[in-house]
Amino acid sequence: MSDVSPDTPRDEESLLAAEYVLRLLDPTEEARVAARLAREPALAEEVAAWRARLSGLEAEVQEVAPRAAVKTGLERRLFGLPSRAPFWQRAGLWQAVSLASLAVAAFFAVQSLQLPQDPARAPLFVSEIAAEDQSLRLLAVYDSQAAELRLTRTAGSAAAGRVLQLWAIAGDAAPVSLGVLPEGDTAAVILPDALRAGVADLVLAVSDEPPGGSPTGAPTGAVLAVGQVSAL
Amino acid sequence: MATTQEIEDLIARVGLGDRVAFSRLYDATSAKLFGVVLRVLNDRAGAEDVVQDAYMKIWRHAGRYGANGMSPMTWMITIARNTAIDRLRQTRATVDLDGVAEQLIAPGPNPEQSAVAAGEARRITACLDELDTDRGAAVRGAYLEGQSYADLAERFNVPLNTMRTWLRRSLQSLQECMGR
Repeated sequence: MSDVSPDTPRDEESLLAAEYVLRLLDPTEEARVAARLAREPALAEEVAAWRARLSGLEAEVQEVAPRAAVKTGLERRLFGLPSRAPFWQRAGLWQAVSLASLAVAAFFAVQSLQLPQDPARAPLFVSEIAAEDQSLRLLAVYDSQAAELRLTRTAGSAAAGRVLQLWAIAGDAAPVSLGVLPEGDTAAVILPDALRAGVADLVLAVSDEPPGGSPTGAPTGAVLAVGQVSAL
Repeated sequence: MATTQEIEDLIARVGLGDRVAFSRLYDATSAKLFGVVLRVLNDRAGAEDVVQDAYMKIWRHAGRYGANGMSPMTWMITIARNTAIDRLRQTRATVDLDGVAEQLIAPGPNPEQSAVAAGEARRITACLDELDTDRGAAVRGAYLEGQSYADLAERFNVPLNTMRTWLRRSLQSLQECMGR
């Protein structure tokens, strides 16, 4: 086995990757390597290789169950309260909004959107897409004749350098993107064909995403607001 | 212990905001992650806090964890370990050290490379045993306890630069042994 100093640039890069994985670099060097990883796949591969190599040591770590209070505290920090159901099935999010208040909200939404209120028209559907703490709130009105979903943002906005992306969820199916919301307070999107028939059972959700929207086709950031669609 | 595939599936569901999956993922993995954090911090109250921070990062980043060859446990342990070391050094992380950044860019090993990596992982103990006792202990100290060059130099009573040379040579030997 050789026991000599690294003599090729490649050896040096590999050792730098190992020191990075082990957290042996000083903060300045560490930041420099972290910045390089984003644009140098070869170095990123060296880092991944060292993570894999050293991961065998994980077997030497004894498992220790944390106290039950740690999980409770974690769920409280993340979700506000302990929860047993997926986010779009959580009653507290939208069932607390009584149909009466929803109808009132929708009335104003319809007014503000200046939708014609011809009783002969196709049915309207509404949804309040809201964060639990009301930090983000949108009213959605679906005009089934135009297959158009009109949105009015009444509270909150995207974080700096981030965008809000709208999703439709039918039953247990994966969320379908309805697009990135524009910066303004109102938006209109055409509902995809496949979702139109089941509009009354849709759940709408808004997630926090990088500029341009989710790169994966599924929500990648936190789901900020959720709302069930109801017939008006 | 859940299988790798089960944990990957749970992470995928967590990425969609599924809180039940998150709860199951926590139940399946928290003893390991808590063990990792506790080994670094050696302080139960601090470790409880850090393990919560780690799972909050896992919740936020799960959507970006692609099954790209990195074992899901290694991914989660990397997050937990880095969060613990940040706490140990009282540095507020200014860079993304959660093993997320490079995953977005790196193409990820192909299945053959993954199999090689898994084989290598099992060999690490044998290869560390080939090193002098102190040198093997230094690598373990750095990985398992988050010790810095300065910590290690003090522990083994050698100058800092000597420690650095030692450890780098040990890592080279380790890499060569594991690649055999």
